[in-house]
Amino acid sequence: MARRPANPSTRKSPAVDHNVIRELAKLLEETGLTEIEFERDGVSIRVARQTGVPAPRARSADVTLAAPAAALPPPLDPAQHPGVVASPMVGTAYLGPTPGARPFVEVGSQVKAGETLIIIEAMKTMNQIPTPRSGTVIQILVEDGQPVEYGEPLMIIE
Amino acid sequence: MFDKILIANRGEIALRVLRACKELGIATVAVHSTADEDAMHVRLADESVCIGPPAAKDSYLNIPALLAACEITGADAVHPGYGFLSENARFAEILAEHNVHFIGPRPEHIRLMGDKIAAKRAAKELGIPIVPGSGGGIGSDAEASTLARDIGYPVMLKAAAGGGGRGMRVVAAEGDLASALLSARAEAKAAFGDDTLYLEKYLERPRHIEIQVLGDGKGRAIHLGERDCSLQRRHQKVWEEGPSPALNTATRDRIGETVAKAMREIKYLGAGTVEFLFEGGEFYFIEMNTRIQVEHPVTEMITDIDLILEQIRVAAGSHLELEQDNVKFHGHAIECRINAENPVSFRPSPGKIVHYHPPGGLGVRVDSAVYHGYAIPPYYDSLVGKLIVHGKTRSECLMRLKRALDEFVIDGIETTLPLFRALAREKEIIDGEYHIHWLEDFLARGELAQ
Repeated sequence: MARRPANPSTRKSPAVDHNVIRELAKLLEETGLTEIEFERDGVSIRVARQTGVPAPRARSADVTLAAPAAALPPPLDPAQHPGVVASPMVGTAYLGPTPGARPFVEVGSQVKAGETLIIIEAMKTMNQIPTPRSGTVIQILVEDGQPVEYGEPLMIIE
Repeated sequence: MFDKILIANRGEIALRVLRACKELGIATVAVHSTADEDAMHVRLADESVCIGPPAAKDSYLNIPALLAACEITGADAVHPGYGFLSENARFAEILAEHNVHFIGPRPEHIRLMGDKIAAKRAAKELGIPIVPGSGGGIGSDAEASTLARDIGYPVMLKAAAGGGGRGMRVVAAEGDLASALLSARAEAKAAFGDDTLYLEKYLERPRHIEIQVLGDGKGRAIHLGERDCSLQRRHQKVWEEGPSPALNTATRDRIGETVAKAMREIKYLGAGTVEFLFEGGEFYFIEMNTRIQVEHPVTEMITDIDLILEQIRVAAGSHLELEQDNVKFHGHAIECRINAENPVSFRPSPGKIVHYHPPGGLGVRVDSAVYHGYAIPPYYDSLVGKLIVHGKTRSECLMRLKRALDEFVIDGIETTLPLFRALAREKEIIDGEYHIHWLEDFLARGELAQ
């Protein structure tokens, strides 16, 4: 591992090649990687991306680049939410008892276990789907008249 | 022609049907249980609908769910594949009530052939040879004796009220008849509460030979030759081939025409298979299957006719354009049904396929829905896929089969590939000299090295 000479005037060649670092930084940006380590001729360089904007530190052969871009956490999959109510059948989802009527529930509605959340219609038969638990409707995942399959997430009740 | 077909099945046959739909330019809907979300045909279909949890009764046999899936996708036809609801006349009727076409025979023919006694009676009336027998229950011992003498020994006594081997006796000669009647009656009475017996000619070592038919429901029907499916284990077919090593052209033409004529008379619609036991140069009707069969590729390989395509065409109302003269047989084909089972114990081996390499080359066809990394679910049958091989002669076909079997890699699960590798090298298989008990005799000898 090379070290920056104390006296610049005695330097023969730069211990750290700035072009290499710039290349590596560009590579980080282009590929979206968070860290690259590169070694040549006994010189090891590590270039890493950090969230936030820390004060740049220069340490022997360690160059850290500050980058505001941070990897966003993956969006929450509604099907994995513990409060999800999934469709028990195939059919067409209707949010209200009849066309034009008020929907059974809205976001924010308080429900008690057993209350009707939604209707799933199949072959002219209206099937009222009850909520399995009491709580608040925090999300409605289907639109009025949307075809749904078995297991499709309908609403989230917390 | 249909705009959109819903495939009411899974596994290799669902993929097979999907392929035919794609070639006809028909939109496809794949329905599946939660266990089949990663199925190949689900990935390839234009639309997919999850219809239920893994259990077949809640998914692939769930008629309301299937109907609802037709409704939300606007499918105008359903192909039921084989198994599941393919021979459920009620399902066909319900679909019709909802203006969805069922790609298969009319419900009345499904019902007729589904009742084994009625089917036999119908076959007899249509001139199809049946196993000679009493027809109904036998009365006195004297009546049984006269009948047995007429038919010719050996004969079989069977309980009219049930099966499973109880109340069954094989009678080798006249001298054994009286005591056999006594013990069979006692056993039937104990097992089913009814000691009525019927009597049939007993076939000792028959072959299982079936005839493929196609009808357009308007009175036109043709036969597409036979498949020899004698190699069975516990009544499950394992290896099928066509033409049968036991038939010559004259015999084939004769039985084929008898069957085709019967189908014309009843105005049969769709694909079907008439199954026979064949012994001593004579055919004996067992049953008719009113659907496409697992081993249909054997016929496709030797006739170059796409049976699923033809099923769809006639179901959509087309006349049968194929005439008997158009049906030509070339070469020989053999199909091996490869199961996810231990090749010696036949214990099921579901699990993940960690390495998959199917064989290829001229005359090699693999009908399978599995792929590298696919996990075989434990809820359904254990069929991994079918290897079908074609050759200009039976010898060439066998050589090609050996080559293809040796090349086939399915790692991560146990499969019956070793069984087929052994069968392809067995003298009697190579000579084509086998019958319906042959495979079980072979397995009982325990020669398959573990």
